[in-house]
Amino acid sequence: MAKKLADVLMDLPEGSAVALRMGAEQYFDTIRAILDVFAPKKELDALYVTSTIPSRSILNALEVLEIPLEHIWFVDCISQIMMSSAEKHPHSIYVESPTMLENLMLKVEYLSRKSGDRGNVIVLDSINSLAIHNNTKILSEFLHILVNNLRSKKAYTLIYSMTQYESEDIRNMMNLVCDETIEVEGERSG
Amino acid sequence: MPSKERESSEDRVDRCVVGIDGLDNILNGGIPRGNTVLITGSVGTGKTSLCLEFLVHGALYGESSLYISVTESTDKLLKNIIPYDFFEEKLVKDGRLHFLDIPVIYDRLGLDKPEFGYEEIHILVDAIVEVVKELRIKRLVVDSITSVSYRLKSEEIIREFVLRLGSVLSGLGCTTLLVAEIAPSYERYSTYGVEEAIADGIIVMGNLERRGDLLRTLQVVKMRGTMHSRAKYVLDLTTTGVLLVPLLKGGSVAAGGA
Repeated sequence: MAKKLADVLMDLPEGSAVALRMGAEQYFDTIRAILDVFAPKKELDALYVTSTIPSRSILNALEVLEIPLEHIWFVDCISQIMMSSAEKHPHSIYVESPTMLENLMLKVEYLSRKSGDRGNVIVLDSINSLAIHNNTKILSEFLHILVNNLRSKKAYTLIYSMTQYESEDIRNMMNLVCDETIEVEGERSG
Repeated sequence: MPSKERESSEDRVDRCVVGIDGLDNILNGGIPRGNTVLITGSVGTGKTSLCLEFLVHGALYGESSLYISVTESTDKLLKNIIPYDFFEEKLVKDGRLHFLDIPVIYDRLGLDKPEFGYEEIHILVDAIVEVVKELRIKRLVVDSITSVSYRLKSEEIIREFVLRLGSVLSGLGCTTLLVAEIAPSYERYSTYGVEEAIADGIIVMGNLERRGDLLRTLQVVKMRGTMHSRAKYVLDLTTTGVLLVPLLKGGSVAAGGA
């Protein structure tokens, strides 16, 4: 599944903003498709914004999967609000709370500048968890500014939406800001 | 004025490019050269960092830049400076970036009175202007004007100081940032309410509390000689310099803070 999704992503034009609709069971395959296949093939720095689970959990998974971290950076919006005592990782920078959407944009901008000449893929994990902490109006405004800013820099924006937790508002928001929606489907068995 | 004419007159403005992308965009390309700008805000809002970055970029562009420290010694300041990715030691060694502690100036001029009158102010302004001329300074920061003003007897003397300093430096093509410290939620842009009336520009830096989150903000309230945004922005102080993004309104934002 990871390869199939990566192939679809490879065909996207620069500056694309894409909604990735998936179930929980496709979560880690999607991460692998982006961070282990798509970003390295395109020679992009991956800036992974997590508000769903702490970056440490994803980093642990990446280590198990032996995915090199050299060009992967995290903006972690959830560890601090959870008062997590986990050791800070050098590839993670932290935003105090997922309600500080401006700071989230500023950290993405900071990491993007640090990337230098390399292009970027920004992964937003996920619209559903951000919607827990923010109302629809401010979240729409945030997405609109973020996506257009990244598009002007020809960066790819990939936004996760977990189908189990999607509301009508979220679907409308994603339709408004994204150029395309990709339905992430698992391998069918039997 | 018709918009086309206004646009072309904007194009002709000689600007001092700050070097902070977000702020230069807000200012339509930079501060009109020779302006005296008040950088005002409460503690911890990033005033000194913004001013230092203005000077470092100036030095990198080849403009001689001077920081006059009033409140803390240059040594202490440099120890606590953000380790900017773009800072080069040679800027100081090559004489493009200068630091001066105002107590040193006071000592040399024999200004040991606890309060200054018109005579002392004229001596002080003349001394600063001499340094600016001698070092061919194009960017100057006085941090802070509030601390200088503590020694001035009256609002008239403060007015005289800022007006005289600003007009002479403007004539020399020197763009000046005057740092002003104010208490949070203060109704004015400076402690004495005088500096803001005389300055060509006012940039307000503050803390905005929103649902328990504290955001650093920046707003250009006034800037003579250019069109500019008057919206509020959120900023971050990073090793790549000051970064700015628009403050999200989200339909309704509870007012609070600066």
